Amino acid sequence: MTVASQVKQTLAGLKGVQGTLRIYSTQTQDDETKIVFNEALEVTREIINDLEKRVQVLEFQEPQYKGN
Amino acid sequence: MQMWIQILLRTTSLFFLTLILIRLMGKRNISRMTPFSFVSYIVIGILAALTSANIITNLAFGFIAMGVWVLFPIVIDYLSIKSKWIHDLINGKETVLIKHGKIMEESLLQARLTGEELLRELRSKNAFNLADVEFAVMETTGDVNVFLKSDKKPITAHDLGQKVAPQTEPQTVILDGNVLNEPLTSLGLNKEWLRIQLENTGVSLDNIFIAQVDSSGDLHLDLFDDSVELPQPKVKEMIYANLEKNQASLMTFALETNDENAKAMYSRNAEKIKQLMEKLEPYLLR
Repeated sequence: MTVASQVKQTLAGLKGVQGTLRIYSTQTQDDETKIVFNEALEVTREIINDLEKRVQVLEFQEPQYKGN
Repeated sequence: MQMWIQILLRTTSLFFLTLILIRLMGKRNISRMTPFSFVSYIVIGILAALTSANIITNLAFGFIAMGVWVLFPIVIDYLSIKSKWIHDLINGKETVLIKHGKIMEESLLQARLTGEELLRELRSKNAFNLADVEFAVMETTGDVNVFLKSDKKPITAHDLGQKVAPQTEPQTVILDGNVLNEPLTSLGLNKEWLRIQLENTGVSLDNIFIAQVDSSGDLHLDLFDDSVELPQPKVKEMIYANLEKNQASLMTFALETNDENAKAMYSRNAEKIKQLMEKLEPYLLR
């Protein structure tokens, strides 16, 4: 497995976490919990952005593996 | 009119009248009544019985007597809400039985409680050892309430310095296979949501005895058919585990890469996830 695909896997995992957190932040009844989940969403969004940029760099470096 | 018809009519009307009057007097529990309100209930009962059995022959007299016994307790209740003085006069004051871990013998005498009875009351409050009790008080209803010494009290999350996620009461959304619409809408959910949830677990509606939605929106089911093992919602634990896994991956990337910028980026984000996990732990795991 190339580095790019490993990073992509992590990226996918984080996106999954983000999606589930979003579900919980909408369906929870408690305001405090909602705020905490929303902050968590914000943090995951930042990390996902960073990783997406990194994937672009990696794909540029190893174009032969692009799409893997 | 024949006697038996008369008694039948009287009894039927008094049955419903008494029902209404007792409802008017409030919803306090029989076991938590002050002795006086107990007496007033008994008097109303006896008056109703006497009137319906035609012992009090004049119906109006019976009603007047009952009316007074219903009205006065209501008036007294109302006054004792408004005035502390009247409240104490009517209900009496609570008696302190144990103070600073020492039994107040005079108070026991005043409450006409023997040592054995006191011990029995303490035991019923799970205080088997007298040494564990810091303070005990006899309420005006005769209940004894116990305050344990601080080192004997059940431990709470606050004692442990642990943060726990706030939780509101769960709502029952299915009872006996019937969907209850009111709790569902109060959660901001609808039948469609419930249908999708049930489809995911693969259970039909008529097999469900009780379904509750907790404050985080997870659905817990109890089926008629207990041989079916249902997966309990573990989604929150899964989020936590996934975060942990991804944090570990980021740390590995940080170690493997030779690009200094990327290394810094990976470490920074791994740190972010770690902080996030600490913050979410009470909400996801506890």
